[in-house]
Amino acid sequence: MRASTLLSESLAVLAKELKSELRSRVALNAVGLFGLTTLIAVAYQIGPYQIQEQDRPHLLSALLWVILFFAATSGLSRVFVKEEDAHTAKTLRLAARPVAVLAGKFLFNLLLLAALYTFIVPLYCALMGYSVKGVPSLALVLAAGAIALSATSTIVAAIIARASGATTLFAILSVPLVLPLLVMLIQGTRAAAASAALAAVLPALRGIVSLGGATLIVSVYLFPVVWHD
Amino acid sequence: MSGVSVEFARVSKRFGSRTVLASVSGTLESGQVLVVAGPNGSGKSTLLNILAGVLRPSRGEVTYRGGDGPVPRARWFERLGMAAPDMSVYEELSALENLHFFARLRGLAVADAVLRDLLVNLGLPAREQTRLVGTYSSGMKQRVKLAQAVLHEPPVLMLDEPSSNLDAAGHEAVAGLVARFRPRAAVAVATNDPREIAWGDARIDLAL
Amino acid sequence: MTKTALRTSLPWLLGVWMVLVTLGAFFYAPSAEGFKGESARIVFFHVPQAWVAVLAFCVNLVASVRYLRRRKALDDARAAAAARLGLVFSVLATVTGSLFANVMWNSFWNWDPREVSIAILLLIYAAYFALREAVVDEERRATLSAAYAVLAFVTMPFLIFVVPRIYWSLHPDTIIGATGKLKLEMESRMLQVLLGSLVGFTGLFVWLYTLDVRLARVRLARQKREEG
Repeated sequence: MRASTLLSESLAVLAKELKSELRSRVALNAVGLFGLTTLIAVAYQIGPYQIQEQDRPHLLSALLWVILFFAATSGLSRVFVKEEDAHTAKTLRLAARPVAVLAGKFLFNLLLLAALYTFIVPLYCALMGYSVKGVPSLALVLAAGAIALSATSTIVAAIIARASGATTLFAILSVPLVLPLLVMLIQGTRAAAASAALAAVLPALRGIVSLGGATLIVSVYLFPVVWHD
Repeated sequence: MSGVSVEFARVSKRFGSRTVLASVSGTLESGQVLVVAGPNGSGKSTLLNILAGVLRPSRGEVTYRGGDGPVPRARWFERLGMAAPDMSVYEELSALENLHFFARLRGLAVADAVLRDLLVNLGLPAREQTRLVGTYSSGMKQRVKLAQAVLHEPPVLMLDEPSSNLDAAGHEAVAGLVARFRPRAAVAVATNDPREIAWGDARIDLAL
Repeated sequence: MTKTALRTSLPWLLGVWMVLVTLGAFFYAPSAEGFKGESARIVFFHVPQAWVAVLAFCVNLVASVRYLRRRKALDDARAAAAARLGLVFSVLATVTGSLFANVMWNSFWNWDPREVSIAILLLIYAAYFALREAVVDEERRATLSAAYAVLAFVTMPFLIFVVPRIYWSLHPDTIIGATGKLKLEMESRMLQVLLGSLVGFTGLFVWLYTLDVRLARVRLARQKREEG
């Protein structure tokens, strides 16, 4: 009957998202510009010299995630909202298996976050004089964080797209769910900056990976219910 | 795919306090065209949406019956092709890219030439097929929407006002499409257009 | 005793119970050691409020899951009723906790993990209602809010168990939640009042919840009659 697998269907959705995004660049621009603007505002006012030495670990890790999360929120809901706005949602609903749609869009959001982090994090470290001792550890924390954040954002985006689709609603619904994740990400970033040992980030990493995993699993069950009436 | 029929019994739909459909019953038989007619707001699109599984009825049942018995609701879409005014295709992709995407989603390995021919048969010439759909006229967009609905040769075809935005040539192309699908599919057409009503082997009239 | 007689008398019983609890909180229970003045007495109200907020969350989850499985409007009404009460009680818990923190440590907010947990629960309830307000269609509203409730429930264990474990390592000298300390070393009279208050507040939740659901049942029945 069906010659394809869930994987190929998900990749088809991802490929379509990437193609659309690279042509219109709406999400990329939004996310990139928000990130850059916030970063410049922070760097200009605070910079590497305004924070006391003992406060640097706390503040620098927290500020980084404030910038990253704020920027991400501006673009992560687009994957579903644009389908409803462009009236392609129903067409997609009648052509694809729900899990394939979820997987494809999750992967797209993940790549969007990866692009954001790659752009902002090095720039932040340079502008704010943030020296990171454990770069591989930080990379792990960022990767795990991206997966968890993408998981939560994608299912929330699916929910709000079927409601009013407003970005404010996306923010309101995401914040309580993302707060624990943010706390763990900030702690993990701090630990990675302070020490090159992988063991330093393990507690936070465990928390982030399990939260992301739990969210992904629940999303697989919830998404078909949200996607279809 | 083998013949599939769609049975619907006592289907009603309420939106809040407004009753849009009141106890509608019938069957979409394979090899037949069922026309759903009625004035604007009588629930033609709502009925088609319920039959497609996009909406749940407030009351009543819809059953897809295939060669192996009833088809579970989650798999109706595999056997269904639908074109409606509220179903667009991706404007940032070309007509061909759209069709390739939908083919991949449905697990079909369709040759480029086949898709090109399909579009040409629906009145979209080859030179337009690689332009972005966002640059098309509404008539051209409608042709792509129809192509999307039929590229997987579905045993159930639902067309909601298929000739809308189309000129005489476009209408002829749709008529040809319906004629081609009639022998081996269950076709439902929701329409006010008398020319389209004439296609019907069976008819349901909805009132306000 | 008939059902109606029970229904009429239980709220009165609850009222008497709560009066007793309040009196007990101020006159029967002794002053707590190491707390400023009589401020510790707020615990008899604060802890049950927090408990009810969490209980409401669990009731909301169960009703939401049931709705997703059976699609019955009454389950959605139950979920919304629980959430409404959960919102009220989490506001109360946050406020009473804040007042206590101000008296004890001269600051309304200390970033104690428990404080943060109850505040996030409040945000979840607020988000739940913001979502419901944004959807016009009843069935879709029920489905989406039920889905959000389930999603929110997944993050709660991380808030309650995982984050404090990590958070402690950041601030080893953070004050342990006053409620925790009190529970371990409570005098028997204080424990009696606290338990009495827990029962009372739970009873209050059950009563208000039942009223709300009964109202919803009547409303749904009328709706069904109108549909014919």
